[in-house]
Amino acid sequence: MTETERAVYFRGAIKAYGDVRAVDGVDLEIAHGETVALLGRNGAGKSTAISLLLGLAEPDAGTVELFGGPPQVSVRAGLVGAMLQEARAVPRVTVGELVAFVAGRYPDPLPVARALELAGIEELAGRRVDRLSGGQVQRVRFAVALAGNPALLVLDEPTAALDVEARHAFWESMRAYARRGHTVLFSTHYLEEADLYADRVLVLDHGRIVADGTGEELRRSAGGNLVTFDRAGRDPADLALLPGVRSVEVAGGRARLRTDDSDATVVALARLNAIRGLEVTPASLDDAFLNLTSREREPVREPVRSSVREPVGAEAPEPVCEPAESVQRPGTETARKAAR
Amino acid sequence: MKDYVRLEVRRTLRDPGFVIGGIGMPVLMYLLFTNLGADDGGWRTGAMVGMAAYGAVGSALNTGGGVAEDRAIGWLRQLRVTPMSSREVVVGRALTGSVTVVPAIVAVLAAGGLFNGVRLAAWQWAAVALLLWLGSFPFTLLGLGNGYRLTGPATGVANMLCNLGLSVVGGLWFPVVLFPGWLRAVSSYTPTNRFAELGRSVAQGHAPAAGAVVVLTAWLLVFGSYAVLSYRRVGTAV
Repeated sequence: MTETERAVYFRGAIKAYGDVRAVDGVDLEIAHGETVALLGRNGAGKSTAISLLLGLAEPDAGTVELFGGPPQVSVRAGLVGAMLQEARAVPRVTVGELVAFVAGRYPDPLPVARALELAGIEELAGRRVDRLSGGQVQRVRFAVALAGNPALLVLDEPTAALDVEARHAFWESMRAYARRGHTVLFSTHYLEEADLYADRVLVLDHGRIVADGTGEELRRSAGGNLVTFDRAGRDPADLALLPGVRSVEVAGGRARLRTDDSDATVVALARLNAIRGLEVTPASLDDAFLNLTSREREPVREPVRSSVREPVGAEAPEPVCEPAESVQRPGTETARKAAR
Repeated sequence: MKDYVRLEVRRTLRDPGFVIGGIGMPVLMYLLFTNLGADDGGWRTGAMVGMAAYGAVGSALNTGGGVAEDRAIGWLRQLRVTPMSSREVVVGRALTGSVTVVPAIVAVLAAGGLFNGVRLAAWQWAAVALLLWLGSFPFTLLGLGNGYRLTGPATGVANMLCNLGLSVVGGLWFPVVLFPGWLRAVSSYTPTNRFAELGRSVAQGHAPAAGAVVVLTAWLLVFGSYAVLSYRRVGTAV
């Protein structure tokens, strides 16, 4: 990415509060026009990274640039709009007055009516901000962020405390803004939001970026898709040899293949005439996320169990598939090794 | 900057606490204090200036309450991610204070002229109003100092204590001639006493004494430094 193509640039950025390195060596580039999600748990460093990005805090070490210059300069130039976390309603002002005031600070703002429309709050223009519901206030804050028509829109956990319907409406608004060619960076701890609404997902954990890619790529890193079918007595060890398969589980008479290439796996199954009750489902992003963010806390575990799960006796109670931690499930690695 | 002042003035005037406490109360107290008990024409004029000054001090300090509130709700932080500079925000707030003191001054002077029969020459009315307006500026700075340094509720308490303490000791509520000698001596060094003196001198037809200007200027510097120090301490972390 050349310097003129990038909107956001972090190089070795570090920011500590006391003993805690909230941002611990972040390298990052975001190009113009990208919609990027910053995904992480609470306390992963998302808000600190955003403070550095907006020039609200200075890095202890490293470089943070917006549009090729210090963040404050870009903010002063009106290139940035932001929806900050935990900001509350500005009392004793109407929605229209507030948005018009903020728009007026920027060199090339949106018409107020357009900003309200994008945020879906045209009908609230004459209402006092402190007399709105929480969801409405959230949308007002969104209108405030985009009122100046900024080249970069930064949203720090914009949908926290919104109900499902409001959340959908919000993301539609965000997309409408991004479609205008603007760069959007939002933080969230909702996996589906990152997956659905961003071109690119950055996973932040313990102040570091531990993954950077599309939602699809993250899922693939956790083991692509799951192909499930009636096992009909087939040997799991054979199934593990099928193309793309990374691991095999057997549960309740069904075989569950985790595969990097579900098409190839299904074609191979068809050749074996093994397709009975076939299902292909994506591996969940939860798997990917947990896989990516839990490693630092625990020492890396080497898989110790030796074989694909195969209970003795076909009708014996079989292991039920385990919940989310399953990415690190011992056995999957082994199955893959066995396949080589 | 003009837009910011307009926005903040609007927000202040929509605050019922400000309208009742900052404008209604001084007028009410003025009418009560001058119409209960002894009927003394001189006190009606003196009290008018005193209560206008009290109202102006309250309104000026209220600006700091607004700052504390804006810090708490994240509005000042939000302004930092707009193209406005921090200097514009601070200066805009101070200017807001200098606008919002006007209603209290005008209301109490109007009550004096309309209900209490205070008669002054046109230039005196104008000069009293102008001096009270200018003289309230140190109190705006004191309020900003509190607002940038303290939390919202603490700012409210600090402003109220400053307002009541300085108003009573400064002789805005009761004439200082009623005070014991030592308190009268203290009173002459308070900013409120000298602030009211500016207006009273003019109402009596002569220019304010140099002492009043000197003491008030000293307080302007003290409160100004306090405001700057408070702002430096937390202003960049709002």
